[in-house]
Amino acid sequence: MDAHSGDHQADHGPYVRVMDGRKILFDGEGFLNDFDDWSEAVFETLARERGLTQITDQHLRVVRFMREYYAYHGRAPLNRQLKEGIGLSVMALEKFFPDGLKHGARRLSGLPNPKTCN
Amino acid sequence: MDNTTLIYLDNAATSYPKPAGCMLRALSRYLQLGASPSRGGYDLAREAETAVSDVRHALRRFFGADENYPLCFGSNATDALNTLIQGLTEPGDHVVSTCLEHNSVLRPLHHLRAQGRIEFDLAEFDASGFVNPDDIAAMILPHTRMVVINHASNVLGTVQPVSAIGEICRNMGIPLILDVSQSAGTIPIEMEKWNVSGLAFTGHKSLLGPSGVGGLIIHPDLPIRSIRFGGTGIDSANLFHTQTFPYRLEAGTLNFLGILALGESLSYLQEIETHRYRQREMALTEKLRDGLSEIYGIDLYAAQSMENHLPLITCNVRGYVAADVGAILDGDFNIAVRTGLHCAPLVHERLGTAPNGSIRFSLGIFNTGASIDAAISAMSIIARSA
Repeated sequence: MDAHSGDHQADHGPYVRVMDGRKILFDGEGFLNDFDDWSEAVFETLARERGLTQITDQHLRVVRFMREYYAYHGRAPLNRQLKEGIGLSVMALEKFFPDGLKHGARRLSGLPNPKTCN
Repeated sequence: MDNTTLIYLDNAATSYPKPAGCMLRALSRYLQLGASPSRGGYDLAREAETAVSDVRHALRRFFGADENYPLCFGSNATDALNTLIQGLTEPGDHVVSTCLEHNSVLRPLHHLRAQGRIEFDLAEFDASGFVNPDDIAAMILPHTRMVVINHASNVLGTVQPVSAIGEICRNMGIPLILDVSQSAGTIPIEMEKWNVSGLAFTGHKSLLGPSGVGGLIIHPDLPIRSIRFGGTGIDSANLFHTQTFPYRLEAGTLNFLGILALGESLSYLQEIETHRYRQREMALTEKLRDGLSEIYGIDLYAAQSMENHLPLITCNVRGYVAADVGAILDGDFNIAVRTGLHCAPLVHERLGTAPNGSIRFSLGIFNTGASIDAAISAMSIIARSA
């Protein structure tokens, strides 16, 4: 499955892009610097650039769940919380997003870069 | 969180669960004895010091070191390696190490080089994951201050030929510093017999102790400087740090609870006939290796032979990033593994698995055949979905 097979983006240092009519700062791995810079328009642009051309309600449900969870708890949901929250297996969720969950869904949801090496 | 059904295969990060009896006994002793060891002449403080000394003796015996070898406690192996590397090197020195090292060695070396204090060379490992002792010998220069190596790779599980490297170091008069983070408690270690001049250990991996306690053992003639200064409980009138061992390399109050718990877990390891557990662990590791190698789409690294190998298997699933496989194993199968670079980036560079790393299954004495069957089955399902 090619969508999952690529390495995550190499770190080329922070950069600014104009999206949805605003200047938005990204870190070197393509994560938003500011959680509040996210919008569904930003999501759609980033998703298309990563090869997600057919955005469905299910995709939006996942990113909204991740954002709401983060806004309330101050951290990303655990694997089992994501599974319970969406009602799909983690494996199914991985397939939903190019680059999987950590480098796909999390990045497209505007959550901060976890910066972990795993 | 209910962990009763968790299949824990991340023992190379830390052993889990810990033997509950050991932890509870240590806590009970701490509640009784918890004065500050070697601070104060009253009986309770002296009893606390005796308890710490008992663990020092037990650890020396465990690692095959003579009673006159100083044992200094610290917080973990990284702490001990920093003390050894920074305490032994002088400006202009050269160090030999390997590409198998953990960041606990690589980062101190890189920082010291960036400060202009040292230079170093790193020996490569072969396709099976082993360093050739002759390569180490060839790198030793007139101003080489030490050879520092990982006894067993935390990524590949390969156990390095320390005895041969120790002989080279002895013949060339170079101290050998050994990182036994992964091997301690899994393979017998003979510090003196292998001509190891400095050994860094941590308590929380296969020694089954708690996190936050580790240390180093050194040859009594090793000329090492203090790199931290402060209270020791002795020689208080001196405004410079005492040079008496073990205090020379111990500044501030020790982690007494951690030391007591490590002492208890060491006794436990000796009571349970560890070698029988380890044989079973290796049999389970072979079963895992064989099971994974039969699954189309899984690539194994340095697992052709389990000789001189830890109970650890590293692999990748073609079509998946390692971290995503870890998330699936966790979320869908309740299996805990470590993915990514394992704090050993050069190993992954050499394997061609950087920047995403790999999936590491590391077994411990509490794993069962059923847990390995479950891991193989889960990996088969994941590989089929890729």
